[in-house]
Amino acid sequence: MPDTQWEIYEVFHQKARGEHHLHVGSVHAADAEMALVLAKEQYARRMACVNLWVVRAADIHASDYADSDMFAHATDKSYREAFGYKVVKKMRAKEGKK
Amino acid sequence: MNALKELLFRLADDELLVGHRNTEWTGHGPILEEDIAFSSMAQDELGHAQAYYALLHELGEVEPDQLAFNRGAAAFRCAQLVELPRGDWAFSVARQFLYDAAESVRLGALTKSSHTPLAQAARKFIGEEKYHLMHGRTWITHLGGGGGESRARLQAALDQTFPYALGLFETSGADTAIVSEGLCAPEAELKRQWLELVTPIITKTGLKLPEAPAIEGGRTGQHTEHLAPLLNDMQLVFRTDPEATW
Repeated sequence: MPDTQWEIYEVFHQKARGEHHLHVGSVHAADAEMALVLAKEQYARRMACVNLWVVRAADIHASDYADSDMFAHATDKSYREAFGYKVVKKMRAKEGKK
Repeated sequence: MNALKELLFRLADDELLVGHRNTEWTGHGPILEEDIAFSSMAQDELGHAQAYYALLHELGEVEPDQLAFNRGAAAFRCAQLVELPRGDWAFSVARQFLYDAAESVRLGALTKSSHTPLAQAARKFIGEEKYHLMHGRTWITHLGGGGGESRARLQAALDQTFPYALGLFETSGADTAIVSEGLCAPEAELKRQWLELVTPIITKTGLKLPEAPAIEGGRTGQHTEHLAPLLNDMQLVFRTDPEATW
């Protein structure tokens, strides 16, 4: 049972132009316009903010938690992680040769 | 009293009382998010009041706290609109919308005020006021465009508040000097801009713009029977010990 007749809108907050919008929470609202109005006072009252996004929670396509095992790594895949490469060391060595 | 002080008392007293009235919704808002938003806007208005009282203090008046909490009803220069009890949600929405529209028009004019500290304050407040107006417009559009009961309640609230809102543009003996000294634009001009702003928002929802004469008196210290009890309530703690430091 929904706790209100109003829909849930997820709120995304941008701290400065060019930065990513980060998900900060949600509000109940009758439509997107009101969601923006209400989100401003819930989520941009203290933090610096230049822009807000609101998205109807119902419009979000989410994966199923029952499938969360698909994210698990069955074998060692540390080679995918950037720290697995000795790039920094190599680059410094090259710079030294100049 | 000189024209500048008269103008500052109007601005400060309007903000203090509308802010105080709106805090009466804290904990009682129609939905949690709105409770927080409305309370936060009330804080904005109280902040503006404090800044205007500080400008008066710079001009030789007593401390802002004394101005807010140690004056009787007859000394207040607020319009009667802001004294009225909060009513139902539609009433508070209608009042806030009409008031915020007037404030944003007035702030626009004040940014060009010949009193530089006032012009600076106005420029600082204009962003907050933009949000207040957006908030008010959204609620008017929703309640006005809503079903039978919400629309009927909002129309009734507009019918009640509109004549008082016209009273925001009341003039007194100070206005000739307020205009000639370049402190603010003429009230008649502000009223024209205000009507241009609120009329399409109201009529677009199918609500009727009330036709009734302005209810005035506030700018000359004549108030409704609601002001004195409000001040008693608001000033109670301060007056218990006016010398206390907090």
